[in-house]
Amino acid sequence: MEVFIAQVINGLSLGSIYVLLVTGFNLLLLVAMIIHFAYPQVVVFSMYITWVVLRLTGNSLLLGALAAVASSIFFNMVSAPLFQKVMKKRGEVDINSTMVLSMGIGMIITDVLSHGFNKGFPIAFPDELSGKTAILRIGLISILPGQVSSLIVGIIAVSGFFLLLYKTRAGRAFRAIAEDPNGARLVGIPLFRTGLESYALSGLLGGIIALLLAALLGSASPDLGEQVAHKVLAVSIIAGLGNLAGGLVVGLLLGILEAIVQGYLSGSWSNAIAFVIMLVVILAKPKGLFGIKL
Amino acid sequence: MAPNDKTSLPGISIQALLAIENLSVSYGHVNALKKASIEVFSGEIVVLIGANGAGKTTLLETALGINTPLTGTIRFKGNSISGVAVDRNVRAGICLVPEGRGVFASMNVLDNLLLGAHNNLKNVDKHLRRVYDWFPILNKRKDQIARTLSGGERQMLAIGRALMSSPELIMVDEPSLGLAPIVVNDIFNILRMLNREGYTILLSEQNANKALRCAHRGYVLETGTVTLSGSAQQLLNDPGVREAYLGA
Repeated sequence: MEVFIAQVINGLSLGSIYVLLVTGFNLLLLVAMIIHFAYPQVVVFSMYITWVVLRLTGNSLLLGALAAVASSIFFNMVSAPLFQKVMKKRGEVDINSTMVLSMGIGMIITDVLSHGFNKGFPIAFPDELSGKTAILRIGLISILPGQVSSLIVGIIAVSGFFLLLYKTRAGRAFRAIAEDPNGARLVGIPLFRTGLESYALSGLLGGIIALLLAALLGSASPDLGEQVAHKVLAVSIIAGLGNLAGGLVVGLLLGILEAIVQGYLSGSWSNAIAFVIMLVVILAKPKGLFGIKL
Repeated sequence: MAPNDKTSLPGISIQALLAIENLSVSYGHVNALKKASIEVFSGEIVVLIGANGAGKTTLLETALGINTPLTGTIRFKGNSISGVAVDRNVRAGICLVPEGRGVFASMNVLDNLLLGAHNNLKNVDKHLRRVYDWFPILNKRKDQIARTLSGGERQMLAIGRALMSSPELIMVDEPSLGLAPIVVNDIFNILRMLNREGYTILLSEQNANKALRCAHRGYVLETGTVTLSGSAQQLLNDPGVREAYLGA
């Protein structure tokens, strides 16, 4: 029971990270109309930048956090013109060309990380980020401040983002473009500028995710982005591509499921389980549990 | 000499609110509009009559800023707006109620209305109150998802959304399309009411009879060219129009 409770808490923090990742991915899919498969890899790149800044500044958490957010927004905005350049059609999702470009970006990031940082060895984040002493001990399991804070920040970020999406002018424009880009254009919503806003916003989300991942995992490796990217793709397909509310539910569930599996089985099973679920869902409901929203 | 030239005497020249001259638009090799010219004056209801594919939608969408014209000029209040982006035109006072309403079905009525105010953030509450005054049904259904509205309610929503941008010129593309005859009458009554309230209306319609009874003037479009124009009464009595569009 203790293991279960601890793993549910863990799972919620992991799940809220999945939710943020899937949301950023879906936002780019719906508003910028690109399939950014490598979005999680950009996030991991920001983790590395954060790590470098933390080392250079003697573990200044404030500067590290700023570096995470700034670098993530920067990379997203820089990739925007590339995506716009390869896209043949602006009015609908150009799956082929944007996915190829995105995978290319992902491979480059993985290679740069494995050659350019820490000789390719996994990096460890300082204890200041995840906290040294457990704030809660349940039997053999201890809960670190990093886990709790990433859970809290994750929940705040998810609710803040959904509030923005459903209660603000920018969010309305995002949803309008997501539903009907052409109709949005006829109402006078600028597709290109709003698309850029979605790159910036998913960049901001990415920065927050980078910090949460760093606090939760305490380390990162060059192939982390790819692993997470697979998981995010699985979540978005299980929920239904572009389905934001579905991503919220499935992201949280997968996080909890994964943590529980890790608590009772070997951690390496969690990937396989996510993909088995994905295959079952695709066979039973090709449009995902909550339906594709494209 | 353009009527808005500084040299023209005040009070003598009447400047058109929307003046389209020799407008040609093509989609690839298809010439959708060929040297079409129309004028809409403040306070008018003007109707474009024409069959499917005559270029009505192209004309309205080009005036809105969706397409870049090959040749010709579009002036709004005397200023050239050829190639100006849609959001700037909306801010300047032009808006379009699209063919098939273009309502966002997954969003609620209030969100749909607020989308109309995306580019004009001033006095949003005032505009919203006015829209609710004119269309109480929208107030009643404001939290309802637009998908659940009837065809006529959707058309009202689309018109209400257009009003949220505080326009001077409302372009309405095929408002009667797919609506029951009794609802069509309601919609035309709404357009007349809005016109009395001071809005200028440019309408495109296949339902020529009802549209001409509602409008002051009209233009007949055939394969991208204006073939006939005149007062609504003249067009109603024109033998060619009667044969081609009124089924008489």
